Amino acid sequence: MTPTISVTGLSRHYHHHTALDGITLDIEGPCITGLLGRNGAGKTTLMRIVAAQEFPSAGQVRVLGGNPAESEEVLRKMIFIREDQEFPDIKVRQVLQVASWFYPNWSRDLAETLRADFDLPDSRPVKKLSRGMRAALGIVMGLAARAEVTLFDEPYAGLDAVARQIFYDRLLADYVEHPRTVVLSTHLIDEVADCRSG
Amino acid sequence: MSLGFTRRSYYAGTVLLGLMLAAVYGLALTGLQAIERATNGWGLSVYFFRVTYLLNGPWYLTWLTSFVGLTLLFVFGMWFGLVYRRWNVAGLVAFIAALVTLLLGGALIATWASAWASIGHFFTRLSASGLTGVLAALAVALLAGGAATIRRVTV
Repeated sequence: MTPTISVTGLSRHYHHHTALDGITLDIEGPCITGLLGRNGAGKTTLMRIVAAQEFPSAGQVRVLGGNPAESEEVLRKMIFIREDQEFPDIKVRQVLQVASWFYPNWSRDLAETLRADFDLPDSRPVKKLSRGMRAALGIVMGLAARAEVTLFDEPYAGLDAVARQIFYDRLLADYVEHPRTVVLSTHLIDEVADCRSG
Repeated sequence: MSLGFTRRSYYAGTVLLGLMLAAVYGLALTGLQAIERATNGWGLSVYFFRVTYLLNGPWYLTWLTSFVGLTLLFVFGMWFGLVYRRWNVAGLVAFIAALVTLLLGGALIATWASAWASIGHFFTRLSASGLTGVLAALAVALLAGGAATIRRVTV
């Protein structure tokens, strides 16, 4: 069976700094995979390369059997929500509207439910959202897209404990109904461990 | 690109937006020029939108030249942005230095080859529509440069 994500001998060097050194891993979906590591461990770099936002110095990445770099077919089945996710200067409902255009499995109902759960005011411009609200908006996009491959890079930076729990609950509930491959990077190991046992 | 589209699509979409904006702004300039002509320079013989030689022909040529000129500026600016995104400040400085070197090199070659008279004749014989064609060719070259640059831009 072809792994959903396959990384072979992946390295990334920046001048004199090595961010990734010979990483090899296979993720066979559907599943939720945690990517645990300290700050600077290279989690973000790995996810950026998998999402084709960054290029490796060496090694190979295959997602859904294909090379994600410049592959419309692969990228359309993948969403990547970053910790420092940037949004255009538009309103919350417009962000969700635009995101819905790109994903055939987009759930308007789930987006609306999550938006209400996180108390996101849909008519507020993104630039006037707090850091936590922007993180919540990224989570809404990531979950409502129901993409075959969903990458979350520490998506809850700025969220309080209650909002983080809402994220875990909604992630698990939606995953049960719509299994897919979710990769979640974090350094909050205790919380993820609770999530696993729950 | 978090929304799953390629650099190629992003570039094509952005260029399309630039072309549409250039078309609309070109229409606005053409309309203002038409009003200016109809009112004999706003009743004061003052002409803002008539540029001798360049924007002084029929309305469709005014629109075409405006469209091509605005597109050229858009793609040139976009290429600068892409160079900065890919190679940061050092790359941008090198890019500007390369452009200046190219211009200076061209000027030196023209001087050594005593070609300035021929270049002058070329431009004096060139009509406004001909110049528009030259600018369009330059815009296409800049577009190709931007497309080559974005292929390895990281996000």
